[in-house]
Amino acid sequence: MISRELAIVLRARVTWIVAGLAALLVGHGFVLAVDLFTAGSRSVAGNVLMAREFDPLAGIVRPTLGGLYLAASLLGPIAAARAIAVEKERRSFGALVLLSGSHERVVLAKYLAALAGGWILLTGPLAAIAAWRAVGGQLAFRETVVALVGHGLYIALVTAVATAAAAWSRTVAQAATLAVVVVLASWAIDASEGFAALAWLGRLADWSVTTHLTPFERGILPLGAAAWMLSLTAGCVALSLVGARFDVARGRRTTLAMAVIAVTAGALVVSSRIHRAYDFTEAARASLPPAAVAGLRAITAPITLEVYLDRDDSRRRQMESDIIARLRLALGDIRIEYPLDGREAPSEATHDDGYGRIIVRVGGRHAETQSTSRREVTTLIFEAAGQPLPDWSQPAYPGYPLVVGRTARRALGVCAYIVFPGALFAVGFLVTRSKRRTS
Amino acid sequence: MTVAIETNAEPRLPVVDVRGLSLAIRGRTILDRVSFDVRRGEVLTLIGPNGAGKTTLLECMLGLRRADAGVVRRDACTLSSWRDRAETFAYMPDDAELPAELTVSHVLDHARRLARAPADLVRALTTRLDLSTLGSARAGELSRGERRRVGLFQALCTSCPVIVLDEPFGAFDPLQLRSILELVRERASTGTAIVASVHQMADAEKIADRVLILASGRVVAFGSPDELRARAAAAKQGGRNPPRTLEDIFVACIETEPRP
Repeated sequence: MISRELAIVLRARVTWIVAGLAALLVGHGFVLAVDLFTAGSRSVAGNVLMAREFDPLAGIVRPTLGGLYLAASLLGPIAAARAIAVEKERRSFGALVLLSGSHERVVLAKYLAALAGGWILLTGPLAAIAAWRAVGGQLAFRETVVALVGHGLYIALVTAVATAAAAWSRTVAQAATLAVVVVLASWAIDASEGFAALAWLGRLADWSVTTHLTPFERGILPLGAAAWMLSLTAGCVALSLVGARFDVARGRRTTLAMAVIAVTAGALVVSSRIHRAYDFTEAARASLPPAAVAGLRAITAPITLEVYLDRDDSRRRQMESDIIARLRLALGDIRIEYPLDGREAPSEATHDDGYGRIIVRVGGRHAETQSTSRREVTTLIFEAAGQPLPDWSQPAYPGYPLVVGRTARRALGVCAYIVFPGALFAVGFLVTRSKRRTS
Repeated sequence: MTVAIETNAEPRLPVVDVRGLSLAIRGRTILDRVSFDVRRGEVLTLIGPNGAGKTTLLECMLGLRRADAGVVRRDACTLSSWRDRAETFAYMPDDAELPAELTVSHVLDHARRLARAPADLVRALTTRLDLSTLGSARAGELSRGERRRVGLFQALCTSCPVIVLDEPFGAFDPLQLRSILELVRERASTGTAIVASVHQMADAEKIADRVLILASGRVVAFGSPDELRARAAAAKQGGRNPPRTLEDIFVACIETEPRP
């Protein structure tokens, strides 16, 4: 069964057109990233401190994967939904179920085949990474793999959403549209970040896919985010299995779908409470200094951080991506609270004197600061715990600035805009072209 | 070279029993308590005017459409799971398309592997349906007749006791049709039951052991052509033109049927 489905996916023109277009988007992101990285690297000129800021994971891999994210979100559903929807359009889905003797077999084979087709999109970033290495660029293996794993999971999720959409609709167009709408719903939640007027959407931030994908792109393997994405993927596959049951009455199917949604929502809530994460970055640069981490883990009392900053405040976003992310890596069970998020229509005028406070509570004791600095907040935690700040030294991350020469840059441009997408279009042409009939 | 399918003459015992299949959609009756049985080694043709419910009846029997009432049994056991149905029925739908991306050899290979059909049968069907020249062609590029031949291979290449064919003969020229009717008859002679919905009365007459005439979702006649002929003649007692052909019987049955 799976070989038939794989053959259908891999011999479909749409699979390769989507892969080629994705490679083009990835290539564009890659070229822009190389240009920016090169321009920045020129100004380093032997300055060790400045060189440390040149992180190829953030500077090259992340923007390159941005193109993949866009392609997987907007083009991925079209190819993925086709696996089931095309059988419905061809009116052969029922006969296929009868032939195989099981809905589950057909739907799972279709999902796995669509997933294999979706993972072809990863060839674009892989080729870009190889090109970066070829021009002398540095990349740490483990952190790059973690970033790719995150996007592999994201493709698995988008494929599952598209499969579910196909199982519940009648045509490829309906299924692809439905799947894209679901993806865009996640984007709408992301769009609320930084807008006080959209604060009500911010409460849904835990349901945004991007929120869960971001740590992977920073070289961190977050178990909760991985479990969240896998739970949602499994939920969508289960929803596909229910939707494909044309032999079950509509009312019963709807009830079953509600049950699947309820169980999935429960699994997502449980996953959101898993805060354990592993730092795979070179020199553990996403973490606090090792002695501070050990010291924080030795504190037995519960630690809570109350942050009195609005969601559109840049200091809050800076905290979330820096000190809060590092504290979460060190302490899976740390509580972060944003008391101002509960207010109705927050605005600048409503800020009182207490705005900007960060209150650290450790057991029954607390300390307060207005600073969002990594070291300041960590010091406060230890102060509240009645301990001195441990050794703050951290293995130095050297940074890898690289000025890509004109010839190499031109070669990278040709590869990104012509060779990589062209190769995928060519493979697509070869595997989908008509053959002469044997006589 | 003629490639024959091995025959297996067994008494014609019922293999599938359909009882009281009913279906209404938005208040309109599509099937009305349809009952019949399918016997081992017979060709049962299903005929009826357009919209009589032939395809719907086949789909309900196969489980592809949910009936409001009725039961389908095999050897006295109700067919409730897809596994049971897959072990009972092979099916060629009327209007389904083949996977356009695959080559014919891939389609045939998939059908062969799923059906676990014996190599002799595969060889015989490939030759009789003249498929050996189509191997590397894409299914999406086949002519209608070629697609139907591939579809017939998928249905006939099976170890299931009942093969269901929905309008299988419409796309063939007279020579091909003769060969395919022969093939279907031979396939039935191996002990497999064939249920085929047929539009052309002449085709039905050539292969049918029994005929089920459906009109407005109801069975209006069911039996062997001879039985139906005798019944129709008796009904037309005193008439000047007693029904001779299946077409005459069909017209007689439909004319006596009240309009919905």
